[in-house]
Amino acid sequence: MKWKITLALSAACAALVIVLAKGFGRDPHEVPFMLRGQPAPPFALKTLQSGEIVSLEKLRGKPVVLNFWSTWCGPCRAEHPVLDWAFREYGTQAHFLGAVFEDTEENALGYIGRAGSPYPQLVDPKSQMAVDYGVAGVPETYFIDAEGIIRDKFVGPISRGAFAAQMRSVMGPRASAELPK
Amino acid sequence: MTSTLGYGAVLGALFCAAFGALVGLGTGASRREWGLPWARRAAVGFFAFMVLANAIMVYALLTHDFSVHYVAQVGSRATPTVYTVVSLWSALEGSILFWGVILGTYLLAFALSQKKEHARYLPFALGTMLAVGVFFAFLIAGPANPFGRVSPAPPDGPGPNPLLQNHILMVIHPPMLYLGYVGMTIPFGIAVAALLRGELGEAWTTTLRRWTLIPWTFLSVGIILGSWWAYAVLGWGGYWAWDPVENASFLPWLTATAFIHSTMVHERRKVLKLWTISLVLGTFLLTILGTFMTRSGVFNSVHSFTQSDIGPTFLAFIGILLVFCITLLATRGQLLSPEGAIRSPLSRETAILVNNLLFVGITFTVLLGTLFPLITEAVRGVRVSVGEPYFNKMAVPGGVAVLFLMGVGPMLPWGSANPRVVREQLLIPAAAAALTIGLCVAFGLRGVMPLLTFGLAAFVTAITLRELLLPAKVRILEHKEGPWTALVRSASKSRRRFGGYVVHLGVVFIFVAIAASSSFVTHTSATLGLGKSIKIGDYSLKFVGLKEGAEPHRRWKAANVEMTTEGGGAQLLAPRMNFFERSTDPIGTPAVRSTPTGDLYVSLLAFGEDGGSATFNLWIFPMVGWIWWSMPILVLGALIAAWPSRRPSAVLSLSSRGAGPVSKVNRGAA
Repeated sequence: MKWKITLALSAACAALVIVLAKGFGRDPHEVPFMLRGQPAPPFALKTLQSGEIVSLEKLRGKPVVLNFWSTWCGPCRAEHPVLDWAFREYGTQAHFLGAVFEDTEENALGYIGRAGSPYPQLVDPKSQMAVDYGVAGVPETYFIDAEGIIRDKFVGPISRGAFAAQMRSVMGPRASAELPK
Repeated sequence: MTSTLGYGAVLGALFCAAFGALVGLGTGASRREWGLPWARRAAVGFFAFMVLANAIMVYALLTHDFSVHYVAQVGSRATPTVYTVVSLWSALEGSILFWGVILGTYLLAFALSQKKEHARYLPFALGTMLAVGVFFAFLIAGPANPFGRVSPAPPDGPGPNPLLQNHILMVIHPPMLYLGYVGMTIPFGIAVAALLRGELGEAWTTTLRRWTLIPWTFLSVGIILGSWWAYAVLGWGGYWAWDPVENASFLPWLTATAFIHSTMVHERRKVLKLWTISLVLGTFLLTILGTFMTRSGVFNSVHSFTQSDIGPTFLAFIGILLVFCITLLATRGQLLSPEGAIRSPLSRETAILVNNLLFVGITFTVLLGTLFPLITEAVRGVRVSVGEPYFNKMAVPGGVAVLFLMGVGPMLPWGSANPRVVREQLLIPAAAAALTIGLCVAFGLRGVMPLLTFGLAAFVTAITLRELLLPAKVRILEHKEGPWTALVRSASKSRRRFGGYVVHLGVVFIFVAIAASSSFVTHTSATLGLGKSIKIGDYSLKFVGLKEGAEPHRRWKAANVEMTTEGGGAQLLAPRMNFFERSTDPIGTPAVRSTPTGDLYVSLLAFGEDGGSATFNLWIFPMVGWIWWSMPILVLGALIAAWPSRRPSAVLSLSSRGAGPVSKVNRGAA
């Protein structure tokens, strides 16, 4: 092989290895989230427990924590105690809402009857709200600030530490909670 | 105990591979004969230990031994037995272990099938293949060890990835792909041996071609089965998305296909030796790059396994392979100097050369598109995504050009062609193409690319059928044989040529199916109340209610849809959504009514809480089934072409006749 070709091939291969090496540490399943920093899509949906209509518009002034979940999803059930804890800690500082994703009202009512839910659960019949928010799977928890801007979403079952960090980001140093040691 | 035994078997395989690699390469370099039997024994040992390690893992999975790390990761008592076995390759560590047993099987088959005539190459070849075995055994023993212990053992596990439990195709698609990927180690070893020896004899070339054709066939089937699985499971109505991991399987297929063609030029004209060998090395490198893409966590893909630590080890292996291959080509390449020359632009060898350049061009384009997000992130710190439009824009014209050459190549003779004879030969195929395009236009079909594809498909089919049937016709006339006898005998006289043309026919089917299903698709989506209907194409669909059910590993909800056709046909379709415990999203199972002219594809998007309504995505894909139905044709053709012949080879016997003007009967091997 001619030396010029060898040199060009070697340079191309070295570049390939460097580019591949730079990619380490990424999450291959990360879905780009385009709504970060954007106004939260409005909704007005009835709650599972009382049938009362809840609209995002009326919740302005306080941050909103919006959790999408389903009864068929194991990770959602694993997350449930963390959300109960979070409501106890932050329930006075933020509005908490659940949204039932791709499930029946009957199943959801049965589950919260057994496990309890201290905050309203919304019914999203045609998954329109889930589509508007770009839900890729459950559980997903959205953190919306007092001005109605989506600060972030957490994909997968959230931990107490991660929840507290998200709340600090949404509320600033005002967010306070007693984290487990 | 199970962990210890399994890990011991992996260490045994690692020892055999390391010993065989050292002995093979060492005695090959010093030209001593005693190394070959020991390299063979090492290959047998590697195979035996890999079989043992895999058998122990399957046993651990079936007995739900959650003290084994991999079983705790993918096992579940609720998973049906068949998917419990399949979970062997459903996650990273198990898939590498499975890779090991396939590599062992290939090595055993190669080591035992080679005769003494190749003794001068074999120590190098086996040594190289076993060196690859060292890497994979090291991965299994170190960064991707599936036999780690979990203490205390959990009572149950999460089960394998739900997507892999949703369709029986997942049982066969990954093994087929692995057989394709791993099998490319054998031609790599053969090519390296040729470079290390500095010679590429005819018999060794035949071995190289045959051992490439086997994994090429598996890779082709694996890719098609993967697209079928995506179509049948994912519910988005497509079969190919230019996902990085799909591309990863396509790239080595492209270069291997280029090799299968360039080797004919090498055998016939004694040119393109180094190019042909480089294609083999490139194909192997691309299979390793593809494996890296799936397992390193570097690429965003639905196929990616979880993030793991094996990425750097894999990248180091890629680096070593690149240095090794470039050094080998730079220092030994000149030994494979051409002994002939391509004399005429109007010849089969020129057509194949252009075909090769096209294949390599498409490979480069797809590789660049796949790597581009990484390149921009590395250079500018911005991640961009390269989507379907880029790949379609770049690859589709290349594909159409390849289709054209599939017709022109077989029509041209080796050496140089007489333009007048070529014009005569072109008449009927060109008329078939014009007639096809005319009929398509008459039936209201529009679009440059699809009509061009249909026309070229007719052109290639006419030429291929003539090449297939002409020798049989001569036998009927000259030997007074019956049509079937004449066909079988003419095929068996030149299996490689006949098999190649059969594969070409299969590829024509795929081209037509892709063009028709992507250009003339009908799509709509609708929410139907109970008892309400919708029309799409010739079909009328009525939603008649929801039903639900449960299996040990999932719950599901299906929408019953009564389908009727204008011709009076009726069928109950039941697209469903499956809810797996571990899944964060429902996994759909679309209902597909498949006919030779097209598929009706019904996907359930959502359902009303009270069961009174359901939302559907509906498609009609013309001729899409021909993509998967082409598989038997491809496999049959490849089997015919790869089947060992008692005679030296059809090519050799034909080449003795020299390269004259186009003969009516025999225009050489395909």
